[in-house]
Amino acid sequence: MTVTEDAPPVALASPEPTAPAPAPTGLAAVLGSGDHKVVGRLWIVAALAHLVLVAGASLYVSAMRLDTAGLADLTDSQSDWFSQIVTYRAIGGAFLVLLPLTIGLATVIVPLQVGASTVAFPRAAAAAAWAYLIGGGLVIGAYSIDGGPFGSGQDGVRLFVVAFILVLVAEVVAWICIMTTVITLRAPGMTLARTPLFSWSALVAGAVWLLTLPVLAAMLVITYVFVRYGGDDGTGIYSRISWAFGQPTVFAFGIPVLGFVATVVPVFSATRHHLNRYARTAITAFGALAIGGWALPGFVGASTPWLYELPWVAVSFLILLPVFALLGLWATTIRKGQVTLASPLLFGVASIVMLLVGLLAGAVQAIKPVETLVDGGGTPLYGTSWTTSVASYVFLSLAIALFGGITFWAPKLIGRRFQEGAARGVAVLLLLGTVLWSFPDLVSGLLGQGGDIPSPVADNRSTIEALNTASLAGGVLLALAALVFIGLVIRATRDGERPGDDPWQGHTLEWTTSSPPPAGNFASLPEVTSEAPLYDARHQETSA
Amino acid sequence: MSTVTVATNPLIDAPAPPARRPRVLLLGAAFGAVAAALVVAAELAVYLQVRGQLAAAGDATFPEGVVLPLTPGSMGMLTLAMSLVTVSWAVYALQNDDRPHAYLAIGLTLLFGAAFINSTVYLYQQLAMGLTASAAGTLLYIVTGTHLVMVVVGMVFVSVMGFHALGGQLTGRDAEGMSAAALYWYITVAVYVVIWYGIYITK
Repeated sequence: MTVTEDAPPVALASPEPTAPAPAPTGLAAVLGSGDHKVVGRLWIVAALAHLVLVAGASLYVSAMRLDTAGLADLTDSQSDWFSQIVTYRAIGGAFLVLLPLTIGLATVIVPLQVGASTVAFPRAAAAAAWAYLIGGGLVIGAYSIDGGPFGSGQDGVRLFVVAFILVLVAEVVAWICIMTTVITLRAPGMTLARTPLFSWSALVAGAVWLLTLPVLAAMLVITYVFVRYGGDDGTGIYSRISWAFGQPTVFAFGIPVLGFVATVVPVFSATRHHLNRYARTAITAFGALAIGGWALPGFVGASTPWLYELPWVAVSFLILLPVFALLGLWATTIRKGQVTLASPLLFGVASIVMLLVGLLAGAVQAIKPVETLVDGGGTPLYGTSWTTSVASYVFLSLAIALFGGITFWAPKLIGRRFQEGAARGVAVLLLLGTVLWSFPDLVSGLLGQGGDIPSPVADNRSTIEALNTASLAGGVLLALAALVFIGLVIRATRDGERPGDDPWQGHTLEWTTSSPPPAGNFASLPEVTSEAPLYDARHQETSA
Repeated sequence: MSTVTVATNPLIDAPAPPARRPRVLLLGAAFGAVAAALVVAAELAVYLQVRGQLAAAGDATFPEGVVLPLTPGSMGMLTLAMSLVTVSWAVYALQNDDRPHAYLAIGLTLLFGAAFINSTVYLYQQLAMGLTASAAGTLLYIVTGTHLVMVVVGMVFVSVMGFHALGGQLTGRDAEGMSAAALYWYITVAVYVVIWYGIYITK
């Protein structure tokens, strides 16, 4: 019997080796990609496109407030249209611009910071981005056919509700991907306590939004059934969803601000974050206090049953404590290091100052005896333009932080660096614009100007109109800053300076890979033994 | 001359086990289930608020002649309680590479899910109440309907994992997919416990 020890030679089916299929480029690379960097950029670009529309709506609303008496002369259809624009400004600003921008930045940066090769559930993350694109487009479409809150076109109202639910589902799925990445895909050695603070803030923000967005979606599901089958005309939609921009839910928009500032302060102070673990605790406490799903509107009866109740007042004040604690930690970090006032730090300082002002104003309006200064007895501040101003401060602090984040991480986002002087100019413009846009509303709120949907004022008319003019000037500055920033991004993608892997001397893992990072992100990772592995490596080299 | 026998443990020289895979799917399923549960919880909160205000005003929750029956709701609770056993059985069987029992347990879980849907539809028939007969009635349909969607999603999840098991992708060493489906199912049942108590028991 013969035993064949060697396998018989087998003729190759194809004698010539086949070359690997070329990677798709252009639109195909975006359409079919599950790469977190492509998906994140998709969120960012779409959110910036929505920003242009929201900025236009905001300027229109501000311009209409210049003549407060004229608001009384609007016909019913003009009044409805004006109210629709007001609601678009709030809904679009929060859920089509700020939250998507945060998600986009986190989708790109979080996997890089935690040393992961991809985001968790990459196909779900891509599907979420596309669902947001479609949902956001349908929201605009719904408004354009007289839908949205206060719309009189019933088809448009229903389309708005369904499209908004789609956007919320997309955002929940995206947050789930980001949170799962932080918890399960961290590099070896990176414990949760060593997670970079921006990624930690993304985890906290994701948890808060996971507890909030489904509640908002539930309100919309109920609204849809009542509008579709119950003969509801849709005028109540806004009162059922406006709690999402009210106190305390609005504070959830401030969580990424803390994460961004906690990232840039140690980098541009060239030292470690002082007491990193306490910063982590403070961000978590801020997030816990910003959970707003409990402050639902009454479906019947009082629309704000929680107003001036103990939990609401307590949250309004307690939320200041973690921010003060962080400010102390950052002051100590700066004192221990050598500060370089680069553009990301400038954005960081501007954003945290604006957030602090917003939180302080929020605490003031939680004091029931503080009332408006109008003839014949005042009314509570909540519901006046003071309340709108609190939301503006918080929203704009996030916008400044996100623009700062895009500037800071531009090497990883687009492989280029922004022009430093122009970026600093944008930060200053944003700071001035925010102050000029929001501060007059605080004062006019104190003088009795209505909040969400502006209405004619009885007292202090000339003063309020002067303040509204100042606010409009702030809006113009903000719009200018946003346009300059978008121009900066476009210019940098075309002929921006090519940075090295680590142009800022960063502390965390995203700076170990190339700019922009390759597919799979990392060829190798350094040993992670602290929250600042690159800072460790740099100082080991120096001491050696 | 005596000889000394040294006891050796063959496991000492065995290679280290491969690193445990991160439980990505399990965590993702937990987050997804929490999000879905919160949608139902918020709808239930609105239902309870409306019911409480109607009661405070001395009005009936539902239109005259409409009685909310307890039996179909309780049967649904019992059915889902039994499905908890079968879905846990499916996970246990897969973790022990006991495929025949795993398939049986998955099949029974799907059967209980279908029976629950049947009991809810039967409840709707017994109610004989129009969708817009009253605000509380509409909200009842919204709450239970959303939970039905949650159950259907759970059944799809369990089915997909069943097909993965049939394809040999879930083994004793890595049955995370089935664990994730089971976790989603547990949360779906937990949500129904709240609905059962809030809507049917305290009606």
